[in-house]
Amino acid sequence: MALRQRAATTARAGDDDVVFDEAFLAKLELLHVIARRLFRGRQRAERKTRKIGSGLEFADHREYSPGDDIRYIDWTAWIRLRHRLIRLYEEDEDLPIRIVVDVSDSMSTRGRAKLRYARQVAAALAYVGLANLDRVGLSCISGTTFETLPAVRGKGRIFKVFDFLRTTKSGGATDLRGGLSRVAAQSSQPGLTVVISDFYDMQAFEGLNLLRFRRHDPVAIQVIDPIEADPRGTGLRGDVMVVDCEGGSSREVTVTAKTLDAFAAAHEKFCGALESSCRSRGIHYVRANIDIPFDDLVLRMFRMGGILL
Amino acid sequence: MTLAGLLPIALGGAAAITGLYLLRMRRRQVVVPFAALWQQVTRESESRKLWRRLRRLLSWLVQIVVLLLICAALGDPRPDVWLREPTTLAIVVDRSASMSGPTADGGTRLDAARVRAQQEVAALGPADQAVIIAAGEEVGVVSPRSGDVAALSAALATIEPSHGEADLARALALAEHVVADASGPRVLVLTDGALDDGGMAALDRCTGGAVPCQLVVVDGVTDNLAITAFAARRYPNARDKVEVLAEVKNLGDTPAVVELDVEADGVSVGRRRLELVPGQSKREALGDLEAARARFVAHLRVVEDPAPGLSTELGPSFDDVAYAVVPPLSPLSVTVVTEGTDLFLEAALLTQGDHVELTGVTPEQARAGHDALREADVVVFDVAAEALPAALPEAHVLVFDPHRNDPSPCPIAKRTDIKRPFLTEQLRDHPVLANVVLKDVNITRGTTFALEPGDQALVRSLGEPIIVLRERGDHGLVAVGFDPRQSDLPLRVAFPVFIDNVLRYFEQREPGFVASIALGSSRELALADLGVATEGVSRVRVHAPDGTVREQPVEDGRIRLRALLPGFYEIDPLGGVAGDPGGGTDDAVATVAELAVNQTGSAAGDLHSRLADVDPAVMAGEAPTPAPVAQGPLWTAILLLAAAIVVLEWASYHRRITV
Repeated sequence: MALRQRAATTARAGDDDVVFDEAFLAKLELLHVIARRLFRGRQRAERKTRKIGSGLEFADHREYSPGDDIRYIDWTAWIRLRHRLIRLYEEDEDLPIRIVVDVSDSMSTRGRAKLRYARQVAAALAYVGLANLDRVGLSCISGTTFETLPAVRGKGRIFKVFDFLRTTKSGGATDLRGGLSRVAAQSSQPGLTVVISDFYDMQAFEGLNLLRFRRHDPVAIQVIDPIEADPRGTGLRGDVMVVDCEGGSSREVTVTAKTLDAFAAAHEKFCGALESSCRSRGIHYVRANIDIPFDDLVLRMFRMGGILL
Repeated sequence: MTLAGLLPIALGGAAAITGLYLLRMRRRQVVVPFAALWQQVTRESESRKLWRRLRRLLSWLVQIVVLLLICAALGDPRPDVWLREPTTLAIVVDRSASMSGPTADGGTRLDAARVRAQQEVAALGPADQAVIIAAGEEVGVVSPRSGDVAALSAALATIEPSHGEADLARALALAEHVVADASGPRVLVLTDGALDDGGMAALDRCTGGAVPCQLVVVDGVTDNLAITAFAARRYPNARDKVEVLAEVKNLGDTPAVVELDVEADGVSVGRRRLELVPGQSKREALGDLEAARARFVAHLRVVEDPAPGLSTELGPSFDDVAYAVVPPLSPLSVTVVTEGTDLFLEAALLTQGDHVELTGVTPEQARAGHDALREADVVVFDVAAEALPAALPEAHVLVFDPHRNDPSPCPIAKRTDIKRPFLTEQLRDHPVLANVVLKDVNITRGTTFALEPGDQALVRSLGEPIIVLRERGDHGLVAVGFDPRQSDLPLRVAFPVFIDNVLRYFEQREPGFVASIALGSSRELALADLGVATEGVSRVRVHAPDGTVREQPVEDGRIRLRALLPGFYEIDPLGGVAGDPGGGTDDAVATVAELAVNQTGSAAGDLHSRLADVDPAVMAGEAPTPAPVAQGPLWTAILLLAAAIVVLEWASYHRRITV
């Protein structure tokens, strides 16, 4: 059985599992994860780094210093200039990718639709990274959960990724700042860090900014349930007690048409503020509406957002 | 059910509703992923929290109100107006001319009376009844006894002011008669108090009668200028000329100025500007008008440039116009009984105008009962030594020396014979002796007369009556106690003047001078008074100013005229037999007579109330409050109201308008 068929079969095991069909996986293999910056890797791979090493492509010269390998002395330059210069080459290395999935309770409302969607996106990204010989690690974070899958390499490790996403517990309050700070602290090597969450946290951007401060290249994928974002079509009216699913405060609200209009506007303002903050700091931001078919998002929206090539 | 019995039900229900209301107010929980956004949204509407609480309280109160309404319906409430004995109310609305006078708010007094009557009608209970009587010159039942408020209200709107005084005596008698046998009888009189003596007396009788009678006096502005008299007459000595007299009176309380405009057949023939202090009346005469103009109308008009301090308020319009017709120039039939020797008498009679038709009759013919004596208006006996007829004719009579032969038919008895009498005393102010000087008249002989009560001694001879005027029913008799032939009176100017005065005096007593009558519902009128010959006239056709025409039978030369509108009436005599349409013809048998109908006097135009000093006990006081529901049980209306509130509350709640 081919690996791709095996992966597709495994993915259909349960409702909560990530679901990929064979054609979808075939499309993913053709994509490359693109990073806007080049990062230092541990093993050779297909990505260029600034590490001067054993690559084939000339990069630069520098003054010879004692201890340098004399094989890299540019003798042609010594003959012309009587300076001992060392030839520097760009070295091809792998890309460290860290995928962070928010598994808080806010992602589990309305039948865990957002969480399932986030896991699918995370699995897809991981598969793309593994297919391109990048090192892919995963973290599931919430106020009470912090589970990490150490970085793995090779397309055959995708099953670990599926198992990790399937078995990780969900629940707890959203705490993106705390979770991302732990991710940054545990990452010995900065890289591409994709955060998949609804970002229903007033300190969400601080977490993203912290990653950026630690020289990560964060990508924010905001998963949005359109019903939650704009409840005007739900028929919700009258006096209700609004209870936060993460056990926070509750509030008595008299829901009217005006109230719903105001809420939709406030939600849009909240998302817009996050997007504006991300773009002002050079952080990729993608708004993923769960109404959009998953493969469309991965194949089209990610490409539009500059994440996949 | 009594209030004590309903109280536990109401309290229990209120408690149950409050409990249910609290249950209803347990809010539905909605789990959201990010409550902070909801807090942000609801924080903006925090200022409306108090209003939301009030709406909740209002919703609870609505439920409590519905409960109380249901409890009230269970108690089958009935207002006091339903519980008392049924009343029968006779509303007498004064619609006299003065009720068209203005009030301070710009309406008329009749409008104010209508409003008050409407309030009385609205206050009728389901078992109450009312009858509405309008009192004008004629009394009419505007709405029969009924409890139908809509019909009574509609009837009130049809009442219009009349042009004359209200016949309150008949109206109140009718009102008392209508309600006398009913339960709770009551008479309510709505008037402005500008009543005549008859009305005041009727009110006194009503308020002191067995049926409770109360008054409502509507106030109004009292300023008014009125034409209180207007007439036209021919000059006695120039019957082709007419003189018009108008009297204007200020019936208000402030000095006023007004312009009197007299029109003849639509053409203005004279204008006078009159300034009148309160209570003052002025008479204005317009002379030397052509008698060819038969109709005169007088108007009061507003002065455009009044002097300071003078009012121009004319008041109601009914007394600002008056009508007059010129008396018809009917021929005067004079029969002279003479043996033909008194040429001076014949000459004096021949100087009369064309309207005097002279007929000569000999004493023999007179004694034989000549027709001319029966048909004549005036008979002059100048028979000298001849004998008079056995009886004087039924006409005006001028007789000379009636007691020359005995026995005499003259009803004025002879007192004594006198030789060479002197005319020493005469009534100079009497029209028969106007411009007549009898001084130094030489008379050969004569007789004096014995006066009876009512006789007037026009001329005396040393205190003894020698020329006497006696009224004999509709006719007059002038007896001269000497023969003109036995005096030099015919040679004097006084003789033809005396003859002319006597004929004029008799003529003015003849019918034909009644050219104007007062407004009245129905009055008897002699056709002869209108200058209409009654012979062969069995009916008349009366043309009213409003264009209506009706026929009236003629009985004994009289008709009953119903003149309710001021203006010109035409009396058209018809032949045939009264009451037998097929028995006669409609051919006109005489000249059409004209008649002017006017307000008479100033009583109708005096807008001052005469009820200022009336006993307050007979005043009706403030208007009653309207009955809550005209008819039907009240509990059904309460239940309907409660149901309506429930439906409204249900609709608003389920549309999230209320909570």
